[in-house]
Amino acid sequence: MPHLDGAYNFARLLVGRDEDAQDVVQEAYVLALKRFPGYRGNDARMWLLAIVQQAAYKWLKKHTKQSYMVRFDPAIPATTTDQPLSESSREEQAQQPDQTLNRLPVELRAVLFLREIEGWSYKNLASALNVPPDKVMSQLSQARQRLRQELVRVHQQDLKHEL
Amino acid sequence: MNCKEAGRLLDPYLDNELEPRPRFELKEHLSLCPACWFLAQERRELRIFVRAIAPTDKAPPELKTKIMAALRQEQTKQTFAFLRQPWVYAAAMLVLSLSSALNILFPDVGKEDSRQAVLLHSRSISADHLVDVASPKPQVVKSWLTAKLDFSPPVIAFPGSGYTLIGGRVDVIQNRSVATVVYGNGRDVITLFCWPPKRNLLAQDDHFIKGYYVCAWSSAECNYILVSNSRGAQIDEFVDLFRDQVQSGAY
Repeated sequence: MPHLDGAYNFARLLVGRDEDAQDVVQEAYVLALKRFPGYRGNDARMWLLAIVQQAAYKWLKKHTKQSYMVRFDPAIPATTTDQPLSESSREEQAQQPDQTLNRLPVELRAVLFLREIEGWSYKNLASALNVPPDKVMSQLSQARQRLRQELVRVHQQDLKHEL
Repeated sequence: MNCKEAGRLLDPYLDNELEPRPRFELKEHLSLCPACWFLAQERRELRIFVRAIAPTDKAPPELKTKIMAALRQEQTKQTFAFLRQPWVYAAAMLVLSLSSALNILFPDVGKEDSRQAVLLHSRSISADHLVDVASPKPQVVKSWLTAKLDFSPPVIAFPGSGYTLIGGRVDVIQNRSVATVVYGNGRDVITLFCWPPKRNLLAQDDHFIKGYYVCAWSSAECNYILVSNSRGAQIDEFVDLFRDQVQSGAY
């Protein structure tokens, strides 16, 4: 079930908890069925993942208190958020292999996943996410810059703890 | 090209999104500028890091069951909306719609392997980066691949046949690392992907995807997918040569 695995991993990256990701994927498949008569594209996986993203954003809007869209400001260093992505416990979050990506705003996580893991071109990203190609490049650049900042911060924290 | 311009183009370059001319100019700049070369290496490593930490698990088995139940429920809801239309047409459209949708949403696994193989083959050609280890010697390519993977792939040369071993690289198909061995045949490129089958043997299949000829088969040791823009008959000859060599153990 290759599309299902990709959809599930994408949803997990966006909403955090396994249970919530399953709900999002289930909702995405139902949406896909509703929209299927209008499907005209060649790449079903791309079409489905775009729907997963929409379903995830809808879920986040409904279930999280804070705004999930954070405008990137290069003057502000990356900081940890005290608010979990969902109502998951700290134990559940600790079980996730790496929290570095989860510290990025969800919009940036999405574009990074679709580019680096799914191999989407800038043109495909722009078309599926309905944004101009320039915005795709800008979001990718923000995501990578933010990730680098986060890695530096974590590294500095580790050094402090060692001292 | 100066460093400022190079820095601006570095991400699209590493993403294989640059047009040929700026790509060539940037490549030349990187070969001459250590600072920019180092920056490119850092950015490459960041990409590798993202790929390493992103979730790549199998979906829980109960998820498909839940989805199928939800889809059937949705189908029932849609049935009532169709009742206003002639019932024969409406029923046929519903069945067609759901089964067609399921074919798209839960595709054949082997075809997905082939689709990804074609993507990797075409990307390597357009990025002008066919191999990570270049050598016509099978033992050199095999040693390199074995060191990078958790299995030892067959790497075979065919002297005098017209098929030249160019080298190898490691790719990822459906979240698994695969050995990629690249051959030249005149101006054509033949890319052969292989990985241990574990429990999933690939069904033998020949077809075309996006203009590329794709041939899939498996043995007890490996699943194979071959992609090329060469004609079918030439590929059949290559596949026969390869399988004979593998069977004879002469590699």
